Amino acid sequence: MLVLMLEDIRKLVKKTLDGGKVDGVLGLWRENGRVGPHLFVKGDDVSMLEIDPKYNLASVAILALASGVKKIALIGRGCDERALVELFKRYQIDEDAIEFIGMACSVEQAKFCECDIPYPTKIQFGEKVKGVVPPQLEDVNEMSLDERFAYWRDVFAKCIKCYGCKNACPVCVCQDCVLEDPMWVKKGEIPPAFPMFHLIRAYHMADRCVQCYECEEACPMGIPLTLLYRQLRQDMKELFDYLPGASDAKPPLTTVLEDEKLEEGA
Amino acid sequence: MTFEPNILAFCCNWCSYAAADLAGIGRMDQPTNIKIVRVMCSGRVKPEFVIKALSDGVDGVLILGCHIGDCHYVTGNHRTLKRFQVLERLLEHIGIDPRRIRLDWASAAEAEPFSKMIREFTEQIRELGPNPYAGSYA
Repeated sequence: MLVLMLEDIRKLVKKTLDGGKVDGVLGLWRENGRVGPHLFVKGDDVSMLEIDPKYNLASVAILALASGVKKIALIGRGCDERALVELFKRYQIDEDAIEFIGMACSVEQAKFCECDIPYPTKIQFGEKVKGVVPPQLEDVNEMSLDERFAYWRDVFAKCIKCYGCKNACPVCVCQDCVLEDPMWVKKGEIPPAFPMFHLIRAYHMADRCVQCYECEEACPMGIPLTLLYRQLRQDMKELFDYLPGASDAKPPLTTVLEDEKLEEGA
Repeated sequence: MTFEPNILAFCCNWCSYAAADLAGIGRMDQPTNIKIVRVMCSGRVKPEFVIKALSDGVDGVLILGCHIGDCHYVTGNHRTLKRFQVLERLLEHIGIDPRRIRLDWASAAEAEPFSKMIREFTEQIRELGPNPYAGSYA
C-alpha cells in the first residue's frame, strides 16, 4: 500500500515538473543510503523520491524560496500544511509560492508523533487515520501543582541547551531569539535555569505550535516537550477558539479584544 | 522569623502609577512589600518579565494597567490581558501556583481600590508562603 502510494507520488511529481507550472518540487530523496530534503527540478530522477521518514519541509521551503526559485510544490503531511499556514500568516512565505501536495500519515506514524491531526485538510495520497492522545496527558493533568512542578523540574534537568528544539521547529522564525539573549538566558549554564528557559520557549509556542513533533524528535535527552505544548494548544482553543495552523485567522496574541470599543463613538 | 513577601508590581505610567502616587499623597495605609516598576504601558510587560521575576525568587508579581478602553495607547492592555490569560495557564501546567501573579486595572483616580488591591495581594502571597520555584538547579 505504502509502496503503491510512493509510486503514485513519484508519477505526480514527474507530471508536475513536466507541466512546468512550478520551478521545483520539494520532497525527500534517497542518496547514498540516506534520506534528506531535496528540491526536484525538471530532469531529476524521481525514482530517488522518498516519503519516509517524516521530515518537516516547511522550514526548508523558506530556504528554497530564498535561493531564488519563484514557485515550488511541496509534498507534505498534516503538520507541514499547518506549519505552512502559520508561516503564510506571519509573512515568512508567500502563499502563492507554494503548491501543496498533501498526504495522510499512517497509523504507525501518527502513533510515533502522538499526533492528534495526522492528515492535511486536502488529502491527495493515503487515507485519514484517527488522531492519537498520549496517555501521559492524563497523568500530568491529574498531578497536584507541587507534583507537576517536581515532574517538570526533573524532566528539564536533563536539558543540555543544544537548541535542537528551537532549530527543528518549523514555526520558530525570529531572527533574534530570546533564548540566545543573555538578558533572559545566562550563557554557559547547563542545564539552563528552570523554569525560565523552558517557560519562555513554551510561551512563544502558545499561539503557533502546530504539533509536528519535530522538537521532541530532535531532543537528544528525550524531553516530552509536546506534552506541554499540547496543553497550550488546548488552552488557545478554550481561551480564544484558535488552533494554530488550522486557518488563516490572525494569532490572537497579536490582536485586540473582540467586542471592545476602541474609542468613544468609534 | 516571620515571612515577609517580596512582591514586584508593574504599573503603567498613565493610570496605575498615578493611582499609586495618589494613594501615597492620600497617605493610605498599605503594606510596604511592593516594589513598583514603572512601565509606559502594561502592554510593555512581556511574559518574560514575570517568568524571570518568579525564576529569580520574587514571591508574587502584580501587573496593573488602565481599565480596558482607557489605555493611553488604545489597545495596549488588550494584549496584556490576552498574554496574561495564556501565562496563567502555562504556569499552572508547569506546576507554579497561578495565584502568585495577578493582573488588575486601576485608573489614575482609584487610589483606594489600588491600595485595597495591594493589601489583598500581599495577604494572598503571605498565605502562599515563600516562592519555592527559584533557583531550582542551583
